[in-house]
Amino acid sequence: MVTKVLNWINYRLPIINTFERHLSKHPVPKKVNFWYLFGALASIVLILQIVTGIWLMMPYSNTEEGAFASIEYIMRDVDYGWIIRYMHTTGASMFFAIVYLHMFRGLLYGSYKKPKELVWIFGCTIYLVMMAEGFLGYVLPYGQMSYWGAQVIISLFGAIPYIGESLEVWIRGDYYISGITISRFFALHVVALPLILIALVFLHLVALHEVGAGNPEGVDIEEYIDDDGVPLDSVPFFPYKVLSAMPAIGVFGLVFCVIMFFFPEGGGYFLELANFEEANPLVTPEHIAPVWYYSPFYTMLRAVPDPLGGLIVMAAAVAILFVVPWLDRSNVASIRYKGILSKIAIVLFIVSFVTLGYLGTVTVTETGKIMSVICTLMYFAFFLLMPIYSSIEKTYEVPDRL
Amino acid sequence: MIKSILIISILSFSLVPSLNSAEGGPCKDYGDCDQFKPDLNNMASLQRGVGTFMKYCYSCHSLKYSRWGRVANDLQIPEDIFFEYLVPDKDAGPYDLMVAPIHELEIDNAPPDLTLVARKRTSSWVYTYLRAFYDDSSTTYGSNNLVYPGVNMPNILAPIQGNQKLGCKEVPVLAKNGGEKRDEYGNTITKEKCGYLKYQDGSGLLNVEEFDEFIYDLTNFLTYVGEPSRAERERMGVYAIIFFIIFTFLSALLYREYQKDYH
Repeated sequence: MVTKVLNWINYRLPIINTFERHLSKHPVPKKVNFWYLFGALASIVLILQIVTGIWLMMPYSNTEEGAFASIEYIMRDVDYGWIIRYMHTTGASMFFAIVYLHMFRGLLYGSYKKPKELVWIFGCTIYLVMMAEGFLGYVLPYGQMSYWGAQVIISLFGAIPYIGESLEVWIRGDYYISGITISRFFALHVVALPLILIALVFLHLVALHEVGAGNPEGVDIEEYIDDDGVPLDSVPFFPYKVLSAMPAIGVFGLVFCVIMFFFPEGGGYFLELANFEEANPLVTPEHIAPVWYYSPFYTMLRAVPDPLGGLIVMAAAVAILFVVPWLDRSNVASIRYKGILSKIAIVLFIVSFVTLGYLGTVTVTETGKIMSVICTLMYFAFFLLMPIYSSIEKTYEVPDRL
Repeated sequence: MIKSILIISILSFSLVPSLNSAEGGPCKDYGDCDQFKPDLNNMASLQRGVGTFMKYCYSCHSLKYSRWGRVANDLQIPEDIFFEYLVPDKDAGPYDLMVAPIHELEIDNAPPDLTLVARKRTSSWVYTYLRAFYDDSSTTYGSNNLVYPGVNMPNILAPIQGNQKLGCKEVPVLAKNGGEKRDEYGNTITKEKCGYLKYQDGSGLLNVEEFDEFIYDLTNFLTYVGEPSRAERERMGVYAIIFFIIFTFLSALLYREYQKDYH
């Protein structure tokens, strides 16, 4: 009976074929390491954010007077509202943590190399949209940090010559941050950007399934195929890949629950303490710091004394990710077979990125200023010198099979 | 390879100097805040805390995001007793918000709402602040606070705590290497340092330990009211973690079994 119904539908809509092609029979490399699990985890967190987001939307009030109080209403009066909200706030930080690791995996194993350029570009676009989504969401509780964070970010656009000021007004929908700003940020956060995000994730996956998933060796598994055209070094997605992801999901759930149930504020990094006070346009908080996942870019912004220059550097830091496929001239994909220069470069890159992240969360000191300039230069050097060091170094021979 | 990359990266962070030292601590002139460890399952403490709050704080400070009934229920105080002895407003019902009469008049510079004070400033800050008032004739109210210098709040608990003044004491002089300086006979060299709280014995209703406990209960209550679901959250968390440990273990076994197919 079930088969009959399925066949009836499949004749008109290719559900079985699609399911087999993209899920059950989709061939994936049989030997990968834990770095290859973050994509699956990211999709789980995306679903979690959407579901908890829908439930948070129901009691949330997108007005200037009601926004902050409605968050406290969710935390106190809505049954299990606190757990839904903490899932959403912890999920936001975890989403970024996972995506950073996922992107780093891409840099390590050359997941942008031909023919995966589009997969990488869709991924970078997802990251860009996530940054906007996270920012808009952070404004919605309308605490002190929401307000002043928004003030800082929106004023960045004011640094653009000629159109800056009108652009600021256009973003806010008002001459200052007000109820109108909240309700438009709400619309963008819950409707516009999630739709774009889902579309991009769809494209990211379709493109990935077209060119096939990579592996830490950088071996092209399509070279050796059996009579049915299935790569010899692959296993079907179901059940093998699903089962290999399960323990990872378990460990991730464990980490997630430890944070959500015991440290939901993440020491002030996930939920900033100043945001437990309602927005007050007349009182500037002592120390305005972005949430941890923006802080490397915030440091770059602060490293340049001129606001427009800072904005350009910050935008360039994200934009440069998009062209990585054309910056890497190496004849191998994986760091395992690259030469010593690439290895040194990637170590310096991690050091600079994490230091930038740390510097963004603390108040500016003289040493901090110098270090932020040095680290910003190191960050850009990693990318801009890549065409040179990746092409002159001696690489190792990649094996034929996985 | 990856391991060595990660190890080198992590090691290099130890070279990053501490850049945080320039910042003043949250407890300002007091130095480091006294650590406060809440006990949200201690109903007696929370009940004493709400009593203190209603008697001494509520005339000026609201808990405007919290509702009467929830507090009575969470603190296991029967509603009739709660409303008869603790709630001054006789029209208030269990679903009403705990808004102090002063906040119903719209005045500028009204004392702040305290629902989230323990979350915004941390419980340790609240605990330290409430014990750091001292006599200071130069201010409007005749008192000042080490944790919040120039605070615009009278020392409302003075009759209970008694007099506290700023005094000086002898502290060891530190050498450049961080050790104590000694004279040629081996005695520690000291110097006078001021700005310490000095308590005048027997001048208040409670002695120092009793007053600390009194403030502990009040801070415990303010910690509770900042996040009333916290005790439940921590209880549930244990079960969630146990679930994921079992889940990880079982799925790892299953994965190992299936992995044999292609290894």
